[in-house]
Amino acid sequence: MIETGSTPKQGETTILWLIKIVTGLILLILATIHLIMNHYIGSLGGLQTYSDVVRYYKTWYIPAMEAVFLVTVLTHSLIGLRGIILDLRPGEAMLKFINWAFIVLGMGFGIYGLWLLIIIAGR
Amino acid sequence: MNTQSNFVVRAFRWFDPRGRSLSGWGFMIHRLTALGLTFYLFLHLIVLGQLAQGPDAYDNFLKSTESPLYKIGELSVVAAVFLHGLNGVRIVMTSFGIAVPRQREIFIGAMVIGLVAIVIFGIRMFIG
Amino acid sequence: MVEKWNITVKFYRQKQGEKPHDQEIKMDVNPDENVIDLVERAWALHDRTLVFAHACHHSTCGACGMRVNEREKLACITPVRSVVANGGTLKVAPLRNFPVISDLVVDMGELYRRMDLVGHQPVDSDREEAIQPEFRPAGPAEPNEDFMRLSDCIECGLCMSACPVFSSTPDYLGPAVLAGAHQAGLEKNPLLFKLIDSATGVWRCHSAFECTAVCPSNVDPGWRIMELRRKVIGDRVKTLFNPRKPAEVGK
Repeated sequence: MIETGSTPKQGETTILWLIKIVTGLILLILATIHLIMNHYIGSLGGLQTYSDVVRYYKTWYIPAMEAVFLVTVLTHSLIGLRGIILDLRPGEAMLKFINWAFIVLGMGFGIYGLWLLIIIAGR
Repeated sequence: MNTQSNFVVRAFRWFDPRGRSLSGWGFMIHRLTALGLTFYLFLHLIVLGQLAQGPDAYDNFLKSTESPLYKIGELSVVAAVFLHGLNGVRIVMTSFGIAVPRQREIFIGAMVIGLVAIVIFGIRMFIG
Repeated sequence: MVEKWNITVKFYRQKQGEKPHDQEIKMDVNPDENVIDLVERAWALHDRTLVFAHACHHSTCGACGMRVNEREKLACITPVRSVVANGGTLKVAPLRNFPVISDLVVDMGELYRRMDLVGHQPVDSDREEAIQPEFRPAGPAEPNEDFMRLSDCIECGLCMSACPVFSSTPDYLGPAVLAGAHQAGLEKNPLLFKLIDSATGVWRCHSAFECTAVCPSNVDPGWRIMELRRKVIGDRVKTLFNPRKPAEVGK
């Protein structure tokens, strides 16, 4: 018989997989913009000083775009990492722990990142 | 089947280069860049916390990243983003049944575009 | 005149409970021979303890799957010329991801059990879906129960050996089994949906396409896994707007 010890309930992977694909497609655009604006354009190749960063984040749509980028990149990376871990057949209890740990990690870093964005945009 | 080995041994099997086809290398690149980028993402977010501490803290931190070693690291991240993103396009396409018989050619095309982008970024970072 | 080459063949040797080692045998070969001919000659003339599997010699039985220079091949249709040069070394090893029984023979019992589970048949009617578009015969598109053909998949296990995900995840159904489910037809057996739409089914595939690259029989498991994904997503979208009645769920 096929071992199904660590198989999450049916359907769970389909939805997560679809979210990974959708966030991946969004990231394709946002990560390129993020890389070009933060690391390529600018006098010395990107945002080189604190004042560069503050000036860049003054335009209202930049923090908004970076906020969407933050949420999508966290979602995509954590679902992807969970998929990689699933390849290693974690047991039921370990998978449950990973699920919760990743939710906490994602929410935690998401809130922290948004807080940082608000601080910079407000300066 | 091969159930006896521990997870470290099994994880290394993903990167066993023996007898791999081109798209098998695509899998390896995708997985390696995924792990690298995830690690970098959290490191990046933690380091950006310096922004909250004001201009002096952030500018001092930026000064410390001007060494060539940091630049190589930065270019590695840029390279990983391009390789992962472009290979990701192939994976999305084939996952929806689009151009599956042409996935090898799409992979070659994606890698060529990725390498060109990496070279452009590299020139900008190191030469200006 | 028949061309003669002199090559070294490195055979993977392992008996149960022993550590593996390589056995080198120098051989005079005709480059147009197939690798299975060398293996048979090594057994007949050099070492009668060498264990290997073979039967049909024309890629129909799937018994002689092994790794030739690390790559999964059917030894019976792999010309020596295609894998080594004159004076070179040829490495012959058993398939990966299956327990070695002895030398070049692995235990594929689990694969056969899984193929049975998904209802893979050794012969198939000329259902259009069972055949890839480019190999579909000209003629009536309607299913023709009178026209039976050997199933493309010969259960040789090459794809299971080459799959990098299966190498770390023995629970993963694997390319041969998923391709078997596709060939068997989801519409014939709704339970297959449950089996393949799971963490050990189609979502475990990470698009390495090694299965398709090594398949000697044009099954193209990679394509079939992607087709299954499309069907699963299609079914999910359909049930989203038209939920199944409770009675149907358990079926």
